[in-house]
Amino acid sequence: MRERLTKCKVLFIFLILSGLSACDKPTYPTGKIEESVLKLCKDEYNLDNVKVKIVGSTLGVYIPVEGLVDPEMKLDKKAGEKIEDVALSIHRVVTSTDMPLKFYIFTTRDTKTAGAEFILTGFIYDVVRVRLFDISRGEYFQRILRDFRFNPAIAGERKIRELFNALNHNSPLTETLKPILYPIYVIGKKDTQKIEITDIESKELSDHESLLYVKTVEEYEASPGFEAYGAIFPPGFKNEYLFLIDISLFTSPMKEIVSKYFYSNNEVRQRDLKDTFEQYKDSGIIGIDGFPKKDLDIGWFLSQQISRRIKQLFEEDKKLKKNFRVVSSHGEIKDRVFQFKFNITSNDGKTGDEKIIFSNIIKMAGTVLHLYGFEEYKSVEFISLANAEKKIYLSKENLEIFRKNKLDIASLKY
Amino acid sequence: MYLMEYRVKIAITATIIILIILSIWGLTSLESFYRHLTIAQMPISLLLAGINAGIFVFMYMTFLQGGFTKIKQTAIKGENVNIHWDDVIGMEEAKQEALEVVELIKDRTKLLKIGGKILRGLLMVGPPGCGKTYLAKAIATEAGIPFISMSGSEFTEIFVGVGASRVRKLFKKARSLAYGYGASIIFIDELDAIGRQRSFSFMGGGQETNSTQNQLLVEMDGLQDKDSNVIIIGATNAAESILDPALLRPGRFDRKIYLDRPNLQEREKVFEYYLKKIKYEPTVDIGRLARQAVHKSPAEIENMIKESALIATRKRKETVGNKELSEAMERIDMGLKHKKHMTKEEREMVAFHETGHLVVMYILHPTDDVFKASIISRKETLGVVHSQPREELYTHNKEKLLADIKVDLSGYIAEKIKFGTTSTGVASDFQKAMQIAHNMVWMVGMSDAGYVGDYTVVPKSQLSESLKEKLNAETDKIIQNCLKDVDALLKKEWPIVERFVKELLEKDELEYDEIEAIFRECGKGHNFKKPE
Repeated sequence: MRERLTKCKVLFIFLILSGLSACDKPTYPTGKIEESVLKLCKDEYNLDNVKVKIVGSTLGVYIPVEGLVDPEMKLDKKAGEKIEDVALSIHRVVTSTDMPLKFYIFTTRDTKTAGAEFILTGFIYDVVRVRLFDISRGEYFQRILRDFRFNPAIAGERKIRELFNALNHNSPLTETLKPILYPIYVIGKKDTQKIEITDIESKELSDHESLLYVKTVEEYEASPGFEAYGAIFPPGFKNEYLFLIDISLFTSPMKEIVSKYFYSNNEVRQRDLKDTFEQYKDSGIIGIDGFPKKDLDIGWFLSQQISRRIKQLFEEDKKLKKNFRVVSSHGEIKDRVFQFKFNITSNDGKTGDEKIIFSNIIKMAGTVLHLYGFEEYKSVEFISLANAEKKIYLSKENLEIFRKNKLDIASLKY
Repeated sequence: MYLMEYRVKIAITATIIILIILSIWGLTSLESFYRHLTIAQMPISLLLAGINAGIFVFMYMTFLQGGFTKIKQTAIKGENVNIHWDDVIGMEEAKQEALEVVELIKDRTKLLKIGGKILRGLLMVGPPGCGKTYLAKAIATEAGIPFISMSGSEFTEIFVGVGASRVRKLFKKARSLAYGYGASIIFIDELDAIGRQRSFSFMGGGQETNSTQNQLLVEMDGLQDKDSNVIIIGATNAAESILDPALLRPGRFDRKIYLDRPNLQEREKVFEYYLKKIKYEPTVDIGRLARQAVHKSPAEIENMIKESALIATRKRKETVGNKELSEAMERIDMGLKHKKHMTKEEREMVAFHETGHLVVMYILHPTDDVFKASIISRKETLGVVHSQPREELYTHNKEKLLADIKVDLSGYIAEKIKFGTTSTGVASDFQKAMQIAHNMVWMVGMSDAGYVGDYTVVPKSQLSESLKEKLNAETDKIIQNCLKDVDALLKKEWPIVERFVKELLEKDELEYDEIEAIFRECGKGHNFKKPE
């Protein structure tokens, strides 16, 4: 009897242990992340146009949507539901994988309205914490970056394609631009020119400006007297252009067009446009393909989060909202130094009380950095554009002291 | 049978296994995040579930009677009881009866074939410590059937119906065991707790005992759908008359075994049995010990031997000797010694008083023997002469009673002869002497005047004053005659008295051997024959 009981116990323990050991495997293992996201979207939400790419420890997900924006230029309700479905699939995969992913970035682009896109950027540990009720849903929504905007690079690319299409069809609207597009509209016979775009590279210079490097193949018939140019520019020769597009200028967004070749001092000269293009810094994180251009890091993520929180802080706090208005807020991290530039005025358009503005922002920034346990920075710089670019520079240690209310705003030097 | 007996446990185990399998299945179907979350929460979930279950069980047991009716006693298989016939000693007659019972249990089929009635209940009656439980266990071992032991008091509860419910549960369990093993025994110790004559009170008192007993009666010989071989053995110290007649009628406790204290031969066996378990000196006389332990139960004998072993250990001795055994018996019979500071005169008076008892007892008493004389105080007494009958006597003749009176009066006479005065130490002696003399005259017709009959049954108001006077005069006459006899005897044997006083004052205590030696020395020694 005792022996039988012991056997039963052993069987019992074996059953439990084998069961528990089976529970240890991740549902979405490394190497199957992309496949898993696609499968979940397809099987559960019938979305088959989702694309996935992993860049370092960042999971990039892209979905083109028809009609992302409604006629009032707001996020369309149906599109919003699709975004929610894909986001949920992403959350399920990133929380049940053994792959050490840190961020996800989910881009939705409108196929109708050029450049209209919705980007959702999140820190995966925040997803885990909100599911474990370690942070509230309200706090979680403050932690994710939601950008509903017009991508200047996408819009610029569209403009360029439209431009070349118009040129090829001899649209009268393009007449003023033809002399800039050297040389075929200078040396070619009228209506013989044809330009084919072979490649476009873009950079976001700001939230409304983009720089585009365009490679083309050009056909033409030389005008009488310009036959000799056929040796330099044979039909089907390769050309390059740089376009500076500002989408805020609705009537003439092309601020500058630079051709590779130009005529100067009686000779045809050329510029190294690629080199010029490379010299510009790309402020965009999403490429033309809808995926992140590089792996995200926590410093950048926090700088963006804090800059957004500055806006939320002055919009959600009733007292602050009553007295202040946030014109702009920008954050970045460079050489382990955070820099937050904000333009906050009083509601009557005058300069606001700098002490209130700074103390609220510094406190909030200190709290966010503390809550993330982020230590990889040296200092933080707060610049108020509305107050004659007054600056407060705080070391990491002083920021922590300020957060603990052991340092008074009056004692801080501008 | 295994399935029958453990069906609840098996069902629970199977359910738990199925639940575990389903839980693991459920877990594996979850995404790993939720799986890990669930596993991580498991300890606290289990703890909370345990607390909840604990609270529920407590509430159920406290408020819904579930716990009150629970029987804590579990069945023990016959072979596990492990008490064999050979271990049962000192109750030969009872053993024979019990053996018969075992045979009846074993040969149930044979009995049924010839149309005999199955044995239902066996009642063991006898004083405490005589081995009723022991015998019941031996029956279980010999019959090789499961044995459920409960005490009568375990059935009683403040709530009416709980006892009855326990009886039902007990019999249900016993029937289930009987189904599996052919028969089972229920042993109810202290049966009188539930078996007393039922009483009916308009206040409702005794209802619980009544309902418990009613249920027991029904279970033993009521209408049952199945006839199962369950034998109930009851044990009680109470007289048979105390038990409810319904319990004793045929079909219930129809067989009775009387277990009395062992006789001399049985006591010897008991002594032999328990002495085997300890190391004792070869000088230890088992016959004498048996004689000394008249009216002692086997349990008392066992206790005495255990006590002697403890005394020997305390004295750093490796074996138990006569002295330790005597000390143990004395400790059990007379209590612990408690030396009081007496003056020299007091001590001398106590010595003469006890010697008076000793000498008269030794020379005159026809049935009792002196085992010890002591002038060390114990409890309320300043000295003691320890005597025991040489054998069990169940009736006393006139000579024995007169000898008892003389022994009681001898302390008084000795004091008077020596000191010309007497002490208060005679009070209890006189009380006993007067009681015996009074009973001799008033109850058993032992006066010389020829008054025969028990005058105590007649109300005193109906007895004439002259008769009462005459009877009392007869009582007084007995006392006076005894006083004269004792006075004459002690004066005659005064040298022996003086000798014993001297010895007692020197040694405080005299053992059987020493007493015997002195009497022999003085030419008065007994020569007992060891009983056959």
